Amino acid sequence: MSEQDLLAPAAVTTLAPAEDRAALPLGKDGLDRYTRRDLRKEEIAIARQFHGGRMWPYAVAAFSCFAVWLSFFPLAIMGVLNLPLAFVLSCIFCVGGYVTSHEAMHSNIGRPGTKYRWLNEAVGAVSTIPIVFPFSMARLMHLEHHYHTNHPEKDPDYTDEAPNMWLAWYKTWYNRQPGVDGSIHHYKRILAEMGTPEARRALVETMILQLIFMGTLFTMAWTGYAIEAALIWWLPRHIGLSYIRFFLSWAPHHPREGKMGRYENTYVFKSRVGHVLSMGMQYHLVHHLYPGIPNHRTKEAYYALKPILKARGVDVSPL
Amino acid sequence: MATVLKQVLAWMPFFFGIGFIAPLIAQLMVLWDIPAPFGISRIAFGLIIGGTWGLVANIRGRWL
Repeated sequence: MSEQDLLAPAAVTTLAPAEDRAALPLGKDGLDRYTRRDLRKEEIAIARQFHGGRMWPYAVAAFSCFAVWLSFFPLAIMGVLNLPLAFVLSCIFCVGGYVTSHEAMHSNIGRPGTKYRWLNEAVGAVSTIPIVFPFSMARLMHLEHHYHTNHPEKDPDYTDEAPNMWLAWYKTWYNRQPGVDGSIHHYKRILAEMGTPEARRALVETMILQLIFMGTLFTMAWTGYAIEAALIWWLPRHIGLSYIRFFLSWAPHHPREGKMGRYENTYVFKSRVGHVLSMGMQYHLVHHLYPGIPNHRTKEAYYALKPILKARGVDVSPL
Repeated sequence: MATVLKQVLAWMPFFFGIGFIAPLIAQLMVLWDIPAPFGISRIAFGLIIGGTWGLVANIRGRWL
């Protein structure tokens, strides 16, 4: 071999990479595993600061709202109830009840084995009665949603998906139609398929609560209080369920298709109705990352986590 | 028992039509002072509308 052959460019190029590459393999987020691990450690350290806190206001809100709502029935029969005001309050209680029950679903009011566990279960049980949605079913289905967020078959809330806001509102109503496999019908089917003792209990409780709901409406209606029953329970339940499904299910998870990763299954979005009226759902991503952070602290936690979320590829531009 | 309850729930739209929508229609007609057509009572009118609507919802699987 001549000296000229040894110095030929072809011999050099076989030793160097074909293209400019990072020294460590990068994931689809553009980060190597060491960077991802460091970011995760930092993320956990920040998130830990926002776990816990005062949870008694959730319990007070749940029990007082439920008591006020219950009082509407005898007051309406006695004819001393301001029906338009009761209607508005009932709608608020239906929506707000889901927020308090949501904390109980994640055991944020009392962990299993702690002295406030009974309170956690009681808050959950009373909170969802106005929307005729037993806590046992709500908890099982919500946890399934967390385990399989945006999975077309396994996420119980996947049926809320719609291409735009208007169709999403329509779908909240459509999914409740008797022959449609959406919303509570979809939940009942999943529970029947699960077949566990907890699922069977949830199905029985759902049946009992639905019968109590219908029994109350029928009794009130045939004794001359149909309008009162409609404005205290029937309409607020429908309005509340649509509102809940839009803000808690569609808005933070749309579009769902193919978005199942930890940092991509929930979006940060700017709500037109603000933080309180959207029930803090603008920061729902924080809840999916750390369900132990209570709802009222997710906003604060989001801004603390924002640089890390941005580094992980989350679109943080809306907020 | 569970089978009976399942059957009741399966026919719930129809029961809802006669159990709730019918008296609701009748009481709204009283509130807004609307007489029932063809000389029938308001509750009879409510039962016709509510019962039919509930039955259709039961068969079609949609209220609208």
